[in-house]
Amino acid sequence: MFNVQWVDIVSFFGWFIAVYMVIVIVFYSVILIISTIQLRKEYQLDRIQAYEDYMEEFNTRPVSIIVPAFNEEAGIIQSVRSLLSVNYPTYEIIVVNDGSTDQTLKKLIEHYDMKEISRVVRKQVHTKPIKTIYQSSILSNLFLVDKENGGKADALNVGLNFSHYPYFCSLDGDSVLEPDAFLKVMKPIIDSNEEVIASGGSVRIANGCEIKNGHILKIGLSDNPIVVMQIIEYLRAFLMGRIGLSRHNLLLIISGAFGVFSKHWSIEAGGYKTDTVGEDMELVVRIHRLLKERGVNKKIVYVPDPVCWTEVPEDTTILRRQRRRWHRGLFESLWTHRGLTFNPKYGSIGMISFPYFWIVEFLGPIIEFLGYIFMILCLFLGGVYIEFAILLFLLSCLYGSLFSMTAVLLEEWSLTKYPKVSDILKLFLYSLTETIWYRPMTVFWRCEGVWQMLKGDKSWGEMKRKGVSK
Amino acid sequence: MINQELLFLTIITLSLLSLLFLLLLYLMSRKFFDIKKRRKIEEYKNKIYPKVLSIIAEGDLVRGLGFEKKAIKQKAMEELLSKYVKVLEGEEEKKRLSELAAICLQDYYQKRLKSKRWSHRMNALYHIEDFQMTKLQGDVVLLTRKKKISHQESIHILRILASFQFDGLKDLLQNQYHYLSEYDYRSILTRLDQGLFDQFVLSFHKSPTPLKYAILDVIAVKRLIKYRVFAENVFSAYKDEVKLRALKALAEIGCVKDIEPFLELMNSSKWQERMVAAKLIGSIKEEKGIPRLIELLHDPSWWVRSQAGQSINQFPNGKTILQRVLETSKDAYARDMAWDWLHKGV
Repeated sequence: MFNVQWVDIVSFFGWFIAVYMVIVIVFYSVILIISTIQLRKEYQLDRIQAYEDYMEEFNTRPVSIIVPAFNEEAGIIQSVRSLLSVNYPTYEIIVVNDGSTDQTLKKLIEHYDMKEISRVVRKQVHTKPIKTIYQSSILSNLFLVDKENGGKADALNVGLNFSHYPYFCSLDGDSVLEPDAFLKVMKPIIDSNEEVIASGGSVRIANGCEIKNGHILKIGLSDNPIVVMQIIEYLRAFLMGRIGLSRHNLLLIISGAFGVFSKHWSIEAGGYKTDTVGEDMELVVRIHRLLKERGVNKKIVYVPDPVCWTEVPEDTTILRRQRRRWHRGLFESLWTHRGLTFNPKYGSIGMISFPYFWIVEFLGPIIEFLGYIFMILCLFLGGVYIEFAILLFLLSCLYGSLFSMTAVLLEEWSLTKYPKVSDILKLFLYSLTETIWYRPMTVFWRCEGVWQMLKGDKSWGEMKRKGVSK
Repeated sequence: MINQELLFLTIITLSLLSLLFLLLLYLMSRKFFDIKKRRKIEEYKNKIYPKVLSIIAEGDLVRGLGFEKKAIKQKAMEELLSKYVKVLEGEEEKKRLSELAAICLQDYYQKRLKSKRWSHRMNALYHIEDFQMTKLQGDVVLLTRKKKISHQESIHILRILASFQFDGLKDLLQNQYHYLSEYDYRSILTRLDQGLFDQFVLSFHKSPTPLKYAILDVIAVKRLIKYRVFAENVFSAYKDEVKLRALKALAEIGCVKDIEPFLELMNSSKWQERMVAAKLIGSIKEEKGIPRLIELLHDPSWWVRSQAGQSINQFPNGKTILQRVLETSKDAYARDMAWDWLHKGV
């Protein structure tokens, strides 16, 4: 009796996995094709030329740069310095000190000769109270807002309330910007006559690069396997996933590390939500939702050019926290707005984006995890041909690395950042091993994230930074 | 049955594997040749740059360069010239650079303009404008008759023709490109000399609205005092946004015939009009406007308050007025703005 049932389960689950895999492969392949067409079109385009025209003040829109800082004493001066050398006509920098317990505030005040100013801030989004506002007496476009601790989203909202300009950019404390970052992301907004209301760019990994005074001196590939795997992941996510989705206004994520938003629409949407761990995605979803509900034809886009370099975790403990947090953030955004799923009222966002994010991004790891358990059970209980299993496994290895290498190919066609032949070989060899160790590991962590959430655990998991800049 | 499936899977696996290795081979050899090519280009650049520099700066003969029309050398020349064109100041030097570009790169770009690849055509267009290769004007004009052409290309073609002061530009814009956005029109118009720009001003009333905005904005940005009367006429003849743009242009030009209507406008119910009127009063430094400017420091709109502060600041006794507001006003917003302008740019 038991035996019959087990065989049934095996064949049912086998079919389930097969169908799921086909759906995922189709999704990915379509996105890949769209991205390839797009990038191939721009192959060898002189990108600097394309931005030159936007440097004239009268063509651009001023931007407020909001830098939320919580205990960032190690890198804050560097990142503000890199911001001050940004290539853009009009902007202001607003550092929001989110109740740091270290020397962040003091360092900034001393270094930039900050003077207290009295300023009434219009509360368009509710936030924790502001303590003091400072303005640099050397640079009149540099502000520092000291507030009570309330998390990153709350700090961003304070910056949003305080900012003067029609566009704002949220920025992680410790990321290094490309000099033309703002021109790159503002280009689609200006080109479209402000039909585009938010735009983001590729985020690259700074570990392994030589950085000095907030500038990338030399691009290199790290020797740490975990970092290399993350580089492959980022290339795949940014060059394939986001270009493909952006092409048809299906984008649900603009990286928290760097993105420009229209202030008007962000405030209309209610600003950042403070009780989620994925506030960046949540805001994008909320703006999309608002646009559809009002029937306005506005867009959120992604530009393939790299705009910012960020530090990623170098050891498993922190990476684990990060992945758990990401997955929870993803779920929270999807769950809060679950009404959009397969809802024809929300057009392609409801019919394509949401199903994609639920099925591929959210359920993916859970199904994969079940698959791993299933395989192990099968080894003990029988029901599967060992040759069959090995082949399938090989196939998934190859298939995964094929996607990774295509991402490398897209990178070579578009930006060509890694300088050596050996870099490519290294990326290739690592991508072959992904299925053996890195993939199961991250899948497991993401499942942990779901589990934590089901238990109702709300802890944040802080990112420890060692500071990438010299 | 199972055997068949195994075979099938093996075939897929093997083909994926070979595909993967092909990809790797392609990527690695590509990188290898790219690096080699880059090195050659850099070497050649280092070799010719003293010569190129003396051709451009001192007018040496091009013949001494011994330039051959090979892909790598042309690329190197293009890169060198792109670098120089950004830093050159003198008219004479710019002309020599154009001539050098015409000798070395003209047929290269001619070919590139006909390339099937979009990025090649775009790059050629960028450089034709940068190097002011007026001899290629005919080829560029021909492109406008092409049927399948991307929007970005069209815009850049028009920009080039504008910076070459092409006679037929106005007709082209009127007949073929009457649907462009304000931004696009603006980027075309700013490149025009007075003669051609006059034509656009003359046909202002017949122009599509985005073109109207662009014409007024260009007058504003370039502070073309010659068009003051025109802007005043537009201001009194039009409503809403066109009126506002005309006002903005007048504010930038900094003089008007009769100040009264503008003093009046500071009481407008639209905040945009109050703001630009305040800007105008500040740039003309009309004393009669000061009391109303002080009132505007208490305006509900941040933009109006900020502009009022800036305008007051432009008067010789502006700082004293702001100081007084800071000390006496009961409105926190007004005090803020006064403080802000007292401490700007210290």
